[in-house]
Amino acid sequence: MLLSLMIFVPLLGMVVVLLLPRESEELVKRVTLLFTLIPLVLAVALFISYNRSTAGTQYVVSIPWIQAFNIQYHIGIDGLSVTLLLLTALLGPICVIASWRNIEKGIKAYMALFLLLETGMLGFFAALDLFLFYVFFELTLLPMYFLIGVWGGPRREYAAIKFFLYTLFGSVLMLVAMIAVYLNSGEPGLRTFDIPTLITLASTEGHALNNLNFQIWVFLGFFIGFAVKVPIFPFHTWLPDAHVEAPTAISVILAGILLKMGTYGLVRVNMAMFPQGLDHFTNGIGFWGNSLALLGFINIVYGSFCALAQTDFKKLVAYSSIGHMGFVILGLAARNSEGITGAILQMFNHGVISAMLFLLVGVLYDRAHHREINGFGGLGSKMPVYTGITTLAFMASLGLPGLSGFVGEALSLLGAYDKFKLLTILSTIGIVVGAAYFLWTLQRVFLGNLNPKYEALPEINGREILTLVPLGILTIVLGVWPNFAIDMFRESVTNLIDVLNAI
Amino acid sequence: MVVPLISIILLCPLAAFAIFGLLGLAKRSFPRQDYLSTAAMLVGFACSLLLLREVVPNPEAHTVKWISLGSLTFPMGFYLDSVTVIMLIVVTLVSSLVHIFSMGYMHGDPRYPRFFAYLSLFSFSMLFLVVSDNLLGIYIGWELVGLCSYLLIGFWFEKDSAANACKKAFLTTRVGDVGMFIGMMMLFTKFKTLSLYGEGGIFALATSLNTGDMVWLSIAGVLIFCGAVGKSAQVPLHTWLPDAMEGPTPVSALIHAATMVAAGVYLTARMFPILTETSSLVIAYIGGITAIVAATIAIVRFDIKRVLAYSTVSQLGYMMLGIGVGSYVAGLFHLTTHAFFKALLFLGSGSVIHAFHAMHAHAHGDEHDHADKDHNGHDHAHGDKDSHEHEHEHGDHDLVHAHGSEIPPDQDMRNMGGLRHKMPITFVTMLIATLSISGVPFVFSGFWSKDAILGGVLERAMEWNSVHHYLLFGIALLAAGITAFYMFRLIFMTFFGEPRNQEMHNMAHESPLSMTVPLLILAVLSFPVVNKLWFNKDYVKPPEQPHLHAPQHAYVSPDSKTDKAGFALSLFGVSEAVAAEETGHDTHADGEHHGHSPAHNIAMVLSICVAGLGILFSWLFYHRRTLSAESVANSFRPLYNLFWHKYYFDEFYDGVLVAVTVWKARLFAQFDGSVVDGIVNGVGVVTRDILAAFTGAFDNRVVDGIVNRVAQVTWAVGGRIRRIQTGAIQTYLFVVLAGIVLLILIFRAL
Repeated sequence: MLLSLMIFVPLLGMVVVLLLPRESEELVKRVTLLFTLIPLVLAVALFISYNRSTAGTQYVVSIPWIQAFNIQYHIGIDGLSVTLLLLTALLGPICVIASWRNIEKGIKAYMALFLLLETGMLGFFAALDLFLFYVFFELTLLPMYFLIGVWGGPRREYAAIKFFLYTLFGSVLMLVAMIAVYLNSGEPGLRTFDIPTLITLASTEGHALNNLNFQIWVFLGFFIGFAVKVPIFPFHTWLPDAHVEAPTAISVILAGILLKMGTYGLVRVNMAMFPQGLDHFTNGIGFWGNSLALLGFINIVYGSFCALAQTDFKKLVAYSSIGHMGFVILGLAARNSEGITGAILQMFNHGVISAMLFLLVGVLYDRAHHREINGFGGLGSKMPVYTGITTLAFMASLGLPGLSGFVGEALSLLGAYDKFKLLTILSTIGIVVGAAYFLWTLQRVFLGNLNPKYEALPEINGREILTLVPLGILTIVLGVWPNFAIDMFRESVTNLIDVLNAI
Repeated sequence: MVVPLISIILLCPLAAFAIFGLLGLAKRSFPRQDYLSTAAMLVGFACSLLLLREVVPNPEAHTVKWISLGSLTFPMGFYLDSVTVIMLIVVTLVSSLVHIFSMGYMHGDPRYPRFFAYLSLFSFSMLFLVVSDNLLGIYIGWELVGLCSYLLIGFWFEKDSAANACKKAFLTTRVGDVGMFIGMMMLFTKFKTLSLYGEGGIFALATSLNTGDMVWLSIAGVLIFCGAVGKSAQVPLHTWLPDAMEGPTPVSALIHAATMVAAGVYLTARMFPILTETSSLVIAYIGGITAIVAATIAIVRFDIKRVLAYSTVSQLGYMMLGIGVGSYVAGLFHLTTHAFFKALLFLGSGSVIHAFHAMHAHAHGDEHDHADKDHNGHDHAHGDKDSHEHEHEHGDHDLVHAHGSEIPPDQDMRNMGGLRHKMPITFVTMLIATLSISGVPFVFSGFWSKDAILGGVLERAMEWNSVHHYLLFGIALLAAGITAFYMFRLIFMTFFGEPRNQEMHNMAHESPLSMTVPLLILAVLSFPVVNKLWFNKDYVKPPEQPHLHAPQHAYVSPDSKTDKAGFALSLFGVSEAVAAEETGHDTHADGEHHGHSPAHNIAMVLSICVAGLGILFSWLFYHRRTLSAESVANSFRPLYNLFWHKYYFDEFYDGVLVAVTVWKARLFAQFDGSVVDGIVNGVGVVTRDILAAFTGAFDNRVVDGIVNRVAQVTWAVGGRIRRIQTGAIQTYLFVVLAGIVLLILIFRAL
C-alpha cells in the first residue's frame, strides 16, 4: 500500500495541479512541491523499514489487471529498487525548487507534466510485471518529450524528437523481445509477464526460456532498448542534444534518473532473467565474451575524450555522464560481487553527482545566460561559495576518494580486473582524462583574473544552495561510509550472483 | 588508549576544516580560524607524543568494516608501529610550526581564514594516509593530500601561473596514481584483500608465493611505486613540483617539502615486504636518476624557491634510493631529517621573501590586481604580469646576468646578497639547515641520514658484487657533492657579498617572532636529535623482504664482520646507534654481515670529501669569485643548456603528450558529431522517406512532424507551442499502444 501510494501520489498531484487556476503560479508551485515531498517522506520510510537482511522482494502488491493476458499490477521492491526509488523521490522536490524561478511560461503545464514523469519513474523502479514495467517505461517518455520540446532551449524541438525517436526505437525492440518471452513462457492460458515467475522458468531445466539461443536473442532485444537509455555507444547521440536543450531541472532528471532506468533494466531483466544470454556476452572466449565489457570501456574512454573537447559547460557534463555510465556497464560485465556492487553504487552516486553538476550549470546559466566555458574566468574570487560547491561536485565526479564517486568506480574496476584485465587497464585512461576535463573547466571558469564582464555577478542564493546541500551531504556520507548504501542491496546482489552462477 | 588518541589526532584538524566549510555555506567564517587550526594541530602533536610510549611493544591494526559485500570485506583502520608514530610526530610538528609561521607570513591576505582551513584539511589527509593499515585507505589519504596540494598551489588563483601549476600538479600525480591503482587491482585479484597486515593481509599471503610469481610480484610492486613516482616527484613525473612553488611559501614548506611529497617514500617503505630484486632495482634507479637530474637542474636556478624545489626532488630521490637498496631505516631516517631541515629552508626563504615584500608592495603598489580591496601587500598575486612566464620560455641565458624578469623579483637571488646583517636569525637558521643538507659531518642530522643511505648503497654493491649498485653509489656520491655546491651557492648569493639591489636591500627587515620562532625550533631539529629513535633496534625494526634474494654472484665477505665504527662517532654518542642499526639489519639478512661494515666507513669518508669539495667550489665561485660561473657555463654550453632547460621534460610533455591528448579529444568529438550523429540523422531521414512512401496520406501529418524536426536541424522557433507537434506525438503514443495490443492479439491467435 505504502509503495502504491508513493507511486501514485504524484499522479494525484497532477490532477490537483490541473484543477488549479492558471494565474496562481505560486500556489501551483507549492502544491507541486507538496506532492513531491510526500513520495520523499514515503521513500525515506521505506528506506528505514526495508529489511536489509533478506534478498526477497518486499512490500509486494499483486492484483490482476488485464486478465486476458494474465497481466498483473505486481509491484515490490528489493535492495536495488529501493535505492533508486529513494534517489527519484529525492530529486523530485529538488527539481521543483530548482524550477521555482526560471520557468517563465506555462508553469502549470510544466509542473503537471513533471508530476506525471515522477509517477512513471517511481512505477518503473517498483514494477515486477514485465508489461507494467514497459508501461511505466513508456510513461516517462511522453512528459519528457514535452518538457524538453516546450520548455527547452533554441533547438529544443530537434532534441526532443531525437530523444523520443531514439527511445522509441529501442523500446520497440524491447517490446518484441518481451512478447517473445511471453509467448514462450508456457501454454496458452498459462503465459505470464510476471518477472519473478519468468526468472524461475528461465532457470528451469527443459523449459523453452532456458535455451541459450533464445536467451541470446531476447537479451539483445532488451539490451538495445536499455542501451539507448543508458546510453551506450553508439546509441548515445541523443543525450548531449537533449541535455543542452532541456531546462535545468529536466537535465537533472534525465541524468539522475532516466539513465539509471537503462542500467536498472539491464540488472532486473537482462541479467536476472537471461543469465545464459549474459554469459554469452560476458563470459565466453573471444569477441562476444568480452563484448559487454568492451562497450563499457568504449563508453568510458570515448565519453571522457569527447568531454575534454567540449566548450559548452552543459555538453561537457553530458559527455562526462556517458563516461561515468561506462563504469556501470564494466562493473555489471564483471558479474562478481565487487563489480555489481560497484555498478549499483555508481548508478546511485552518478545520479546524485550529475544532478549536482547540472544544477550548478543551471545556476551559472541563469546569471550569465550562456554556458561557454571559455567565456568566463576568475569567478572564484567573485562567487566563493558557488566555487566551493562546484569544486566539491567536480571532485566527486572525477572520483576523488572520500567522496561517493570513487567507491563505485573503484569497486567496478576492481571487479572488472578479475575478468577483463586489458580492458580494465585501458579504462583507467578515463580516470586521468576525467580529471583533466574537470580541472581544465575549473581553471577556465573559476581561476585566473576575473572577467570584467562578470564583476556584478551575484553569488549563489539560498534557494539554490538548498537544492545542492542534500546532494552534497549524500556525496560525502556515501564516500565516507559506503556501507550505508550497500547494506540495502547486499543480499540482492548475492542472490543475483547465485542466479548467475547457477547456470 | 591508542584508538582514542589517533581519533583525536585525526578529528581535530578535520573539525577545524568542517567548521570553515559549514560556515562558508552560510557565507560566514569563524572569527579566528587561524587559532582554531593551529590549536587542532598542536593537540595532534601532543597526542602523537603520547603515542610514542603507547605503541612500541606490539604493532597492531585496529579496523572496522568499511565496505562489506557478500563474501568480501574491505576493512578500514589504523596500523601503528614505531614508523607510524615517528611519522605522526614529524607531520604534526612540522604542520604546527608551519601554522604558526603562516600567521605571520599570510597576515593580511584576503583569504586568510581559508588558508588555515586548507592546512587543516591537508593535515587530516596526511595523517590519515600515515595511519592507514590498508592500500585502499592509503589511496584515499593519498588522493586527498593531492586535492589539498591542488587547492593550496592554486591559493592565489588569480595568477595564471598558479592556476596552471595546480592543475599540472593534480594531473601529473594522477597519472602515477592510476599506475598505483592498477597495482592495487593486481594485488586484489590475487589475494582478495587490500589489507596489508595480519594473517589475512597481503604481506602474509605474499610469503606463500613461489618463484614463478616473482615476475608478477615485481610488476605489481613497480606499479604501486608509480604512485610514489608521481607524489614524490620522481623522474619522469617530477615536473609538477618546481611549478608547485607558485603556492604560498608555507605550503611549499609543509606539503611540497616536508610531508606530502615524502608520502611516496613512506608508501614505498610500507611496501618493503613485497619488493623483489627487480622492483627494488627499479626503485633504486629511479631514485638515483632523480637525485642527480634534479641536483644538476638546481645548480642553474636563480629563483630561491626553485632551487629548494629541485633540491627537494633530489633528496626524495635519495630516500627512494635508500629504500631500493634495502636500507629501510636509512630511507625513512632521511625522510625525517629532511622534513625538518627542508621545512626550515623553505620557511627561511619565505622569511626572505617576506622581508622584500614591504618594499615590493611599495614600489609596485599600483600593480595590485586583486579583486578584494582589503589586503595590504602580502599578496603574491601582485606584479605577476611581468613575471609569470615560465623560465624555459626564454632562450639563451647567461649564468649570472640573465635577462628578462621571469622570476618574481622578491624570489630572485640576483636581487639579494648581504642579507646576513639584515636578517641574522633567518641567516643563522638557514645556514644550519644548509650545513645539514650538505652533509657536513657529525654535528648535523643530514650528514647521518645521507651517509646511512650512501653506506647502504655501497654495502649492497659490495655484498652483491653488483655493477648496478656501484653505479648507483657513484651517482649518489656525485649528487651529494652537487647538493653541497648549490646549497652554498644559495647561501652565498642570498646572505653574503654586497647587496645587488640596494633599494630592495634597504627595505629588508627581519621577520616577526611568529616566523622566527618556528625557524629556531626547526634549526634545533636539524641537529641529530631524532637519531636515537631511528637507530634503537628495539624501537624500529625493518621488515623482512622474503622475496628479495641476492643474485647468484653475490659476494659475502667474511671480513665484513669486523666492527670499525669511526672514533668520531663515539664523540657524539651515536656510534652505538649506528652500530645498532647494522645489527638490526643483521637479524633479517640471515647474519650475512655483522656490525659496522667497511662499506659505511668508505662511504662516510667519501661523502665528507665530496661535501667538502662542493662547498669549496661554491665558495670559489660565489664568494671569493676566483672562478667565474659564467665562463664555466660558456665552456660547457650544451650541458648548461640541458640543465637550464630542465632536460626538456616540460617541452616534451606540453608539446607532445598534452597536444596529442587534446588533438585526440577533438578528433573523438568531431567523429561523434559528424559520423555517429550523422548516421543517426541519416537513418532518420531514410526511415522517414520509406515511411512516407508506404504510409502515404494516412500518416502524413505524423511523418511530416519528423521531417520537420529531423531534417531541419536548425529549425528553431520562438516560445509558441505548436499544436501540430502535440498532435503528432499523441498519435505516436496511440500507435505504440495500439501496436502493443495488436501484436499481442496476433501472437495470441497464433
